[in-house]
Formats: sequence, structure tokens, C-alpha cells
Amino acid sequence: MDKMTMNVSTTAVHIDGLSRRYGATRALDAVDLALDRGITGLLGPNGAGKTTLLSILATVNEPDAGRVSVLGLDPKDAAERLEIRRRLGYLPQELGYHRHFTVAAFLDYVAILKEITDRRRRAGEIARVLAAIGLEDRARTRIRALSGGMRQRLGIAQALLGQPELLILDEPTAGLDPVQRLRFRELLSDLPGDPVIVLSTHQADDIAAICPTVVVLLQGRVQFAGTPSELAATASGHVWAANERGPGAHLSWRSSDGRWRHVGGQPPAGADVVPPTVEDSYLLLSHAAGA
Amino acid sequence: MRPAATEADDAALLRAVARGDETALAALYDRHAGWLTVRMTRRCALPDLVDHAVQDTFLALWREAGAYRGGGDVAAYIWGIGVRRLIDVIRREKRASRRWPAAEPQVVTSAEDQVLVGIEHGRLGQALADLSPELRGAIEATVLDGLTCAEAAVLLGVAEGTVKSRCHRARVALRAALADQAWGTS
Amino acid sequence: MTNGGHASEELLAGYVAGTVEVADAWSVEAHLGGCAPCRSALSAQVDASRLARNRSAMLVRVALPGDRRVRRLLGRCGIPDYLLDLLAATPSLRVSWLLSVVSVLAVVTGEAAAVRYGWLHGRGLPWNPAALVPLLLVGPLLVLAGVAAAFLPTVDPASRLAVAAPFSGVRLLLVRTVAALTAALVPVVGAAFVVRGPGWQPAALLLPSLALCAFALAAATLVDGRAAAVSAGALWALPALLLAANHVPLAMVQPNAQLACAAVLIASAVVLYLRRDRFEWGWTR
Repeated sequence: MDKMTMNVSTTAVHIDGLSRRYGATRALDAVDLALDRGITGLLGPNGAGKTTLLSILATVNEPDAGRVSVLGLDPKDAAERLEIRRRLGYLPQELGYHRHFTVAAFLDYVAILKEITDRRRRAGEIARVLAAIGLEDRARTRIRALSGGMRQRLGIAQALLGQPELLILDEPTAGLDPVQRLRFRELLSDLPGDPVIVLSTHQADDIAAICPTVVVLLQGRVQFAGTPSELAATASGHVWAANERGPGAHLSWRSSDGRWRHVGGQPPAGADVVPPTVEDSYLLLSHAAGA
Repeated sequence: MRPAATEADDAALLRAVARGDETALAALYDRHAGWLTVRMTRRCALPDLVDHAVQDTFLALWREAGAYRGGGDVAAYIWGIGVRRLIDVIRREKRASRRWPAAEPQVVTSAEDQVLVGIEHGRLGQALADLSPELRGAIEATVLDGLTCAEAAVLLGVAEGTVKSRCHRARVALRAALADQAWGTS
Repeated sequence: MTNGGHASEELLAGYVAGTVEVADAWSVEAHLGGCAPCRSALSAQVDASRLARNRSAMLVRVALPGDRRVRRLLGRCGIPDYLLDLLAATPSLRVSWLLSVVSVLAVVTGEAAAVRYGWLHGRGLPWNPAALVPLLLVGPLLVLAGVAAAFLPTVDPASRLAVAAPFSGVRLLLVRTVAALTAALVPVVGAAFVVRGPGWQPAALLLPSLALCAFALAAATLVDGRAAAVSAGALWALPALLLAANHVPLAMVQPNAQLACAAVLIASAVVLYLRRDRFEWGWTR
């Protein structure tokens, strides 16, 4: 289990021995993590514990064991928890919407929940986030009339209200097409202040493109923490390209250039070693963890 | 670049706003928000409050565009709404924070009274300039902007009675100054 | 003024800066009223980003629903704006919901009224308390339903957002519950007054309604929200049906029952107060 050793003064989120179970399932098993300002990506399949971890960071859930420190505050203490919530922007997985609400009305509602009591300030904030995600023309549209991608962008917009210091985004790129995903990356890098951003995804190419720091979570445990290139390097020497498929590799698929790509195990004869990508390492790790 | 606008266009835009056309409202904003902001700033030094009042003005236009009866200046109509929104904002600010948003001492309000506008700057200008700032402010708010004494009191930050007495003294002083000038004795 | 009947650049700049003579400033304002090109020229001298910011904020406010009369009335009572805006998200305050409540009541009281005022079977019939059973049964349940809709997370699709937000969960709950209670109690008690009769006080529905809602909320701190609402409903429905079957329906609203309701109300309120922190964590355990 890798543990990132960071200078404590730059560590914005510190997790120690975090565990959480639902009934008989261990959603999180003694997770240790230290996260910095900037973007951290949580990579893992569904059921790996990403959503649980994010919900604990967002103070929506309590851990069974372990200590969490978010922006130097302890979510167990009521007053500090409130302070975390004041600096938080959260996009839960599968956020539900009041479908009869218009875009502007929904954002108004969330802004009030974020304690922006002055109407004009709220209007200014709403205008700002709508411009950031490109939905300015849709302020009056009812949510039920929005496409899936627009609804996802609206979810990101509500998280941005109030210029949070901590941004927790659960699967923010789900439902976004490639152009929108590019805009999303630009948006994240342009955010004012230097917020701590933790986002989860099960798509490896999102990680490679957006996140300078990656944490791979498999079956409730941290299997890797580091940069995307370090992650890719863990599969070094275990990825091959060949003209045919072979039975010895752990995973094989046909890549876009017509050749077969093999990850892990034994390659077929005549295969060339190729540089690994983040996805390759992720697949290798998943296989090793038995996922 | 904002294209040169005509009065007829403005009236047409207002009618469109009354029908619920948001782009017409945006167009009106583009034409009028600039001068409205400056003019309000000359009455209230706090930019936050001016911003609020400008927003409130166009919001009020949106909600009550049907009330414009088509007579006279659209710009004057907008100013009439705007100055009252400004007073509202100042009043609420005063109540909320006890902070008195001081008006500019050089408060100049618009000339509703065409006769006064027509007078040469020389004599009236001198008479006005000779008035003390408080008296000038009181006259301009009540006579020229058409505000009631209560509204002027909020704008100037004094009691209503003070506004009334200042207006009286201002009129007396102006009459005297103009008379002096007419006789060439100032 | 020079420049062919228009204000010169310097004059406008001086006006913006506040450095011109009083009379000149006054003339500028008078002129602006009728001259669109000068207005444009003046606008060009104002900070463009400030104008743009106000423009987008203004358009957002235009996009938001305006204040209805009820809201303005409540606003004048001193209730802060943002609480009223918050209530807009409560399903049991929507017109559609209230209409359904009113229609259910109409059916239930219509029947009772028909019997009471003898519309169905001719005048002069003796007062039959059995006609009140539907209203007695349904009234408090309607109030409970309104309150349940205010707090059940299944009804609030964005409940996780509400938990993660700094706005106090308890306060949110209180605001919604009080609003839903009032909105539901008024038609229910009103309907009860329509079918006044000997042997019962229409206002007697008040206490059971309050007790049921308090019980549901208190139970929600101990068990699942839906289970809490259902058990509260059963707590009323079962005895009511039992007593109706034994031909003493009005026993539900007699003084003994009122005392029992008061006891439930107080006990629930205590439990609710002691366990109110539960609402800060939401329902995701």
C-alpha cells in the first residue's frame, strides 16, 4: 500500500486509517491518504469505495474508524464540520433534481443552502457559475427539459457556487461528450483561489488528462497514489502489442491500429513491448486485486 | 460597439419588454445602464449600492414595462424608476447596517423644469454655485428631481423637516442672488 | 455646450469624474434625456466589466420567478427573504399539492356535509356521527402527509446537497415543517368547521394533527424516514378505524383522546429536541 509522504503544511486533506462498512461489505478498509491543493483523481471501478470516501470527505457520511482532517478541520466536531461545509462544493453521484425547477431557481435554492442570503449576491454568483459552465442561455429552462450532459454541467455549477475551497466531485465527467470534457478540464484549471479538488472517475483517460495526482482505489483499499506517469510506469514491461491474440496475457484487446494489445501475464510469441498507459496500469492493478 | 439609438427604438423596446422579450430588456440595458450608473453615482458614493440599484431598475422595468404610457422620454422614465430604486436601496442599507452611505456633496439632479434649463448658465450658475452644498442638494432633489421631501430626506441623509427648511432657505437665497445679479449689485 | 448641439468628450469625462461645474453637470443631465448618441458616448466611459457583471446578474434575477402576492405578504410580516425563497422548494407548498389536498377534503367533507345538512336524504334527519368518520380519519393524515413530504429525503431529490451545505439541517426542517403544517392545517380545520355538529369540536382535529407530525419527526430520528411516517399514520388510522367499527367514532376527538394526543406531542417534542443533531447528518447512514 503506497502512502504519499507530503509536507504537512501543504497537506489539505489528511486521512488516517479510514474504515467504513455497510452491513457485511467493507466499503473502505484502513485507507491512508494525504491530499494536496490542486486536482486529485480517484480511479476505481464501481463499488471500489470512491463514493463512500468522497461522501465522508464531504461530511455527508461518518467513518466507522479512523481520523479525517479536511482543511485542518475535524468533521467529528460539530462546529468544525459546519466550517467545512461553508467551504465545500459537492457534486454527489447521481444528483437528483427538483425537475420542475428552472436552472436559475435550482441554483438559487442551493445558493441559499450555502448561506448566501442576499438576493443580489446570489444572482451574481449564479451568473458567474452559469457562465463558467456555458449554460447562460438556459437560466429559464426547466431541468426536466435539459439533456443529460447539461444536467451534469448544472451539477458542476452548483458545486462551484460560493467559490469553495474544497471541491468534491463524484463522477463529474459522466455523461459529458469529449468536447464538454475538455471544457471541464479547462474550467477546473481556471478556478479562482487554489482549491483542493477531489474527483472520482472510472475512466483512465480522464485521469491522464486532468489530474496531476492519482489515487487508485480497489475494493476499499488504496492500491496506488502518485502521478499519472508513475502509475503508467508500474506496468512498464508488462504491456505488449502483437499481431495475434494469446492465451497467456491477463487482458487482451484489439487496439485502434488493428494490432492486439496485451497486458500482464505472458505475451504471445513475437510481441513487442510497448510503453504503458495509465489505463494499462489500472487494468493490471485491477486484475491483481482480483477485481 | 453600441449602435446609435433613436427614441422610437427605445419605445419599441419597452413594448417588447412588456410582452416578455428578454433580449429587448438586454438591449435596453446595453443602451441605458451606462449613463444610469454614472448619474446614480453622483448621488450615492457607494458603488455596491449603485450596482444594486441599477439591477433593481431594470428588474422593475421588466416587471412593470406595461406601465409606460408612451408619453415623453424613455430615458426620463427610466431615470424616474432608477432614482426611486436608488432611494430604496439606500433606505434598506441604512436600516440594515446603520452605515450612512453619504451622498456626494456636489449632488446635481436632473432638470425637469425646462424653464430653469433655458436660463443662461452665467447668472443661475453663479447663484447656484454660491449656495452652500446642503441647500443646493435640497433644492435639486426636491425641485429638479421631483422627489418628495421624504424621498429627498433618504437621499440626503437628513430628517424630512431639515429638507423642508433647507429648501425654503435655498429658495430665499436664490431669489436674493438672482435679484442682486439683475441689479448688478453682487 | 459645443460640438454641434452635443456634449463634448471633455465635458462628459468631467461629468463622469465629478469635476464639472454644478450648472454644467445639470445641463449634461438635461441634455442626456433627449440625446441618444451622447448617452452612448457616456456609457462608453463606464467600466465595461462592471456593466457586464450587473447585466448578467440582472438577467439571472429576471429568470428567477417573481414574488407572488402571498410571498410579499409573508415578507412584510418580517420573515426573511431567503427563507421564503427556500420554501419554494418544498413540494407540499406547491399549488398542485395543495389542490390535491383540497380535493380530497372536498370529497370527504362533501359526503359528511351532505348527511349533516340533509341534502342526500331529505331534511330533518338526526345527526349521524358516522358520517364524520372519513373526515376524522383523513384530516390528520393529510396534515401528516404534508409534513412528511417536507422532510422525507425521497421527496427531496437534492437532499444530499442539503446535508453537505452549511444551512442548518434542523432549521431547514423546522422552516419546511411549519410551513407545511400551516398550509395543511388551514384547509383541514376549515373543512371540519363546515361540518360542525353536536358532540364534537372541529378544532379538535388540531391536536391530533400536531401530535402525529411530531411523532413522525421524532420517529425519524430513530428509524428510517418512511417507516416513521407510515407508523405515525398507522398510529392514527388503526384506532380510528377500530372505534368507527365499534360505532364510537367521535371518541377519537373527545377530551380523553385529546389528552393522549397532547402527551404524544410533548413526548415527541422532547425526543426531537434531544436527537435533533440527527438531522445535520441526513439520511445516509
